[in-house]
Amino acid sequence: MSDLAKEKAARLLKKRGSVSSLGSHDVRAKETGGKTKDSISTVSYIDEPGHHDDNPRPAVQMENTFQLAPHRRFPVLTVNDILKDVLASYLQEEKYEAELCRQMTKTISEVIKARVKDLMVPRYKIIVLISIGQLSDQNMRIGSRCLWDSSNDTFSSHSFKNSSLFAVANVYAVYFE
Amino acid sequence: MEEISGEEVLNISVCVVVSNLSILQCIQSIIGEESYRQDTVNQWTAKIVEQALTLLVKQTKSYKYIVSCAVMQKSGAGLHTANSCYWDTVTDGSCTVKWENRTMYCVVSVFAVSLTP
Repeated sequence: MSDLAKEKAARLLKKRGSVSSLGSHDVRAKETGGKTKDSISTVSYIDEPGHHDDNPRPAVQMENTFQLAPHRRFPVLTVNDILKDVLASYLQEEKYEAELCRQMTKTISEVIKARVKDLMVPRYKIIVLISIGQLSDQNMRIGSRCLWDSSNDTFSSHSFKNSSLFAVANVYAVYFE
Repeated sequence: MEEISGEEVLNISVCVVVSNLSILQCIQSIIGEESYRQDTVNQWTAKIVEQALTLLVKQTKSYKYIVSCAVMQKSGAGLHTANSCYWDTVTDGSCTVKWENRTMYCVVSVFAVSLTP
């Protein structure tokens, strides 16, 4: 099951020659009736062409760019639309199922990252965070705090709900000095 | 009933050593004994995120940090989280910690982005 996502990520890598990390964590409901079925399933893997452990990269001397601020800012509204679009198209008709949603979170995060990369905003690092949960009587709070340069760095967020599930997508864009 | 993940370290080549353990301790100190309460959960997430951030800042490395916290009431519903990052895998990294007690789940994700190549 994780192979499908791996393949997709590998294809993306080949196309774009980028290095990306993908990680996911699941929280599954505890089964009632005695035995606590393990409620942690942690799957995280990294797709990259080479291992950075083998040859430590020699310290790179960068030339001065004399650039104090990004030439082009991160387009928050465009990314908002991307998030709306992706979440709606992938989740509109879906019902919450543990296996399906596990694959879905990984796929959606890769898709969103690929589309944001297609915007080709130079010198920005992208972090995409997706949560998909089942709608029931529970209450939930998601919060985040960032230590960054607020003049250049920004984030975009969107939440989606249908009759059986909800999804929250956060995209953080960090300017690389 | 508490499940605590092993002591893993952020996979960053520079020594930004924030172990899962320190973030777990931070969560434990804020909501360890509490039951889920809607009126205070807002404060809890804010406190957890702030404490985690202060812990990281004490490292005094040239990094930008993003800390995200999700607290969910236990009611038999399932939750999946995934993240995907486009960055320099040599210098940047992330770490996710899951914690639970009798009434709620808490998932904290920390991302560290380097300012220097």
